[in-house]
Amino acid sequence: MEVEKTFIELLLPYILALAPALAAAVSTGTPILFATLGELVTERGGVLNLGVEGMMMVGSLAAFVICYHTGSPWFGLLCGGAAAMAMSALHGLVCMVFQGSQVVSGLALTIFGVGVANYLGTPYIQQKAEGFTTFSIPLLSSIPLLGRVFFQQDAMVYLSYLLPFLLWFLLRRTRFGLALRASGENPEAVRAAGISPFKMRWASILLGGFLVGLGGAYLALAFMRMWADNLVAGRGWIAVALVIFAFWRPGRAVLGVYLFAGVTAYLFRVQALGVPIPSSIMAMLPYVMTLLVLFVSSLRGKGSGAPADLGNNFKVGD
Amino acid sequence: MSADACKGKPLIRLEGISKHFGKVRANHDITLDIRAGRIKALLGENGAGKSTLMSVLAGRLQPDAGRILLGGNPVFFRSPRDAHQAGIGMVYQHFMLIDSMSVADNVLLGQEKSLTLNPRDMQRRVAELARRYGLDVDPAAKIGTLSMGERQRVEILKLLCRESRLLIFDEPTAVLTPGEARRLFVSMRSMAEQGKAIVFISHKLPEVLEISDEISILRRGEVVDGFERANVPGEAELARRMLGRDLSLNSGPEAAHVAAPANAPASISRADPAEAVLPGLEEEIPPPVPEPRPMGWLGTDRQLSLEAAIYNRSQRAGENGQPEAEPAVPGDGNLNIEGVKRRGRGKLVAETEPVLALAGVNCRVPDSAGLTDIALSVAKGQILAILGVAGNGQKELVEIICGLRRADSGRVSILGRDVREFHANQPSRGGLGYIPEDRRGSAACPDLNLVDNFLLTTRKLFSRWGIMDYKRARQVTRRVISEHNVQPDDSKVLARALSGGNLQKLIVGRELVRNPRCIVAENPTQGLDVAATEEVWQRLRVARETSGVLLVTGDLNEGLTLADYLAVMYRGRIVDIFSIHNQAKVEQIGLMMAGAIAARQDAYGGQGCAPDPAGD
Repeated sequence: MEVEKTFIELLLPYILALAPALAAAVSTGTPILFATLGELVTERGGVLNLGVEGMMMVGSLAAFVICYHTGSPWFGLLCGGAAAMAMSALHGLVCMVFQGSQVVSGLALTIFGVGVANYLGTPYIQQKAEGFTTFSIPLLSSIPLLGRVFFQQDAMVYLSYLLPFLLWFLLRRTRFGLALRASGENPEAVRAAGISPFKMRWASILLGGFLVGLGGAYLALAFMRMWADNLVAGRGWIAVALVIFAFWRPGRAVLGVYLFAGVTAYLFRVQALGVPIPSSIMAMLPYVMTLLVLFVSSLRGKGSGAPADLGNNFKVGD
Repeated sequence: MSADACKGKPLIRLEGISKHFGKVRANHDITLDIRAGRIKALLGENGAGKSTLMSVLAGRLQPDAGRILLGGNPVFFRSPRDAHQAGIGMVYQHFMLIDSMSVADNVLLGQEKSLTLNPRDMQRRVAELARRYGLDVDPAAKIGTLSMGERQRVEILKLLCRESRLLIFDEPTAVLTPGEARRLFVSMRSMAEQGKAIVFISHKLPEVLEISDEISILRRGEVVDGFERANVPGEAELARRMLGRDLSLNSGPEAAHVAAPANAPASISRADPAEAVLPGLEEEIPPPVPEPRPMGWLGTDRQLSLEAAIYNRSQRAGENGQPEAEPAVPGDGNLNIEGVKRRGRGKLVAETEPVLALAGVNCRVPDSAGLTDIALSVAKGQILAILGVAGNGQKELVEIICGLRRADSGRVSILGRDVREFHANQPSRGGLGYIPEDRRGSAACPDLNLVDNFLLTTRKLFSRWGIMDYKRARQVTRRVISEHNVQPDDSKVLARALSGGNLQKLIVGRELVRNPRCIVAENPTQGLDVAATEEVWQRLRVARETSGVLLVTGDLNEGLTLADYLAVMYRGRIVDIFSIHNQAKVEQIGLMMAGAIAARQDAYGGQGCAPDPAGD
């Protein structure tokens, strides 16, 4: 009896750590969710963009700098999205116009983006920006436990709740989405149907780039509210992996992101409780999780729902 | 009743269309009328120019000369899109569909007018269209789950959805089961009745006769004949006209030109004794004695007469000292074989052990007929030609023999060893030589130089302890280059710089340098000019002295020129295997290739031309 009680007492803090971890999962997950959905749109159009990490860095720097100088987080957010979109246009230029390798171009984009953002951001290190403030949604926020977790957040988080539904509708229920998905599957068939797969892919690159930029902006304006070196810290790569985990579906992307962010946040909480997990292990965690995610999703093999023409270039014109 | 008198103005008129690819004349001055409500068949061999002509019409290619008249007005198609907008659609052999999407999505891609989609409404509209033309397919099903026949119906629905007035079918039955083909014909008829013009490209005689209202025959890029349904001659006559009489590309350097013989030669009884005999005993059997044969072996008064067959046949007969008996068929001109030189041909060398033997080989292949119960054997000194229209299992057969594919069942042995064991441990000399069809893809690396390309299959000869002796490799490569007259004669150039013919000469030289005892040659002269073709043929003839050759060819003339035995493949089966001396069978090759003669396992007991000693 006595032993059992002690056992529960021992476990209790770990159980209690779940609730704040869940709350943290929402805020740590949101930037990854934006980036994951952005990459998902791009890949659905048939373009593999491994530059997410670099695009997020540039997006977050642009958002931070604009917000820092203008004081408007919304304007900053918009500029963050636009900056990442410009980066993705670079990727489009290399792959769509010059027929370069999508993998190489994406990697170069990451290296370039991380480097340039760290360099240009040096004067802003440790500076703080206004950023987004949290506000509660009436009624919904009074739901016990979950209300506080999900409905006492900032505007970006609420936007991220809507985004998967919007993207699902765009991809599944609009003419544009049909053509975009078709371009990722079989550009020849799209061309035969009288639509330019070239334009559809450009659209998927730019739209995806913008969403990735929003993820980066969230990191600077809501999550950290300050600038630091290497602010994105691998989240872009996690987004790339989560697209695969999500089988290229927006709904599953939400699930994957919160699961991933929740586990990460929980382990941090547990560490705070004094469990002797070396911090170097904790720092490795996101990458280990990424590998795990890729391993688990690759178990499904061929039926994974990857766009059939993902990563392949095609010649422009008829 | 002539075509012109039948239905006023044509919907589309092709006028003097010519199209060249480099020196190859794909289409020459073709004029063709296509009418609404009628099914027009374009009949012709592989490479006769049917597909080129239709690609011109569908806007994929632009003609060098000539014009297209649509309802009497000249139109110019820069792209398939222009042709689509003019109401011309093509059902390609390779479907352009998106496997992971539904039938309705595929049909309405690019056709949907509203910005947002309503899947249920889309499916209803597609189902309605399908019902109207008898193209039964579930509009909600994903393409990936459909049969080839259903996918083809989706392709047709795409065209009907955009209200195409002309539908072009490029060998539509090639991918279909007989039942699906029948349903397609019913739908085609229904479409024609509803006012669509239909062009049907085929080289299968029975279906052309079954479905078409008009037939135009293409040969070597020209329209050589046109018939109304009522005036269509029999299958045999169509086959004869399709295959043509112009055979300037004939056998050896000694070959003389034969002035277009057009009638059936004196022939033999159908049970050719030579066929039942082991190849080793071949020489002892006198060739069949030609005797005048009454007409009508096909049950019609038309005879299938393949000039190529006659030509070779007559030479062989001459070779063996047999007199030629030539009945003069009225109206067809007399056969003139004066001046035909006798062709020297290596004696068939008897060999007890076949170098290549297949028995009961089955192989299922998605999206194709696969292989069913293949049995054949090739002995040293023989060339066995596999004839057939491309895509009837030849590729799979070659892949199995060359170790690129595994058969589901059956035995394959090369030089008396099981195929898998053989490929796992190939002798560096005296093994298997493979001359692939795709010379730039499977036979050579375009970005490597000729020495490296030479070493692709011969490297074992030049390495010791894993270290390559490049000096000797270069010497041997140079020797092969000069012996085979490869241009440019520089071993340092990249393979990319070589023309198809020169590359092929290098590959043939490379494969022969190891003195293979078994050679697989896959369309070895495809795309080569006359001189290069002759060189390759000569090499194969010489190679036959020391090895057995399996020659897979879509070119009937090549088979008849080189082979000792012929096998015809159709839909993954060997229809028949027979000696080149079996005149009756040789005459039926066209029909066998077209599927008009069913596989007759009983004819050779499923054993192939040379019964496997251990076969039973």
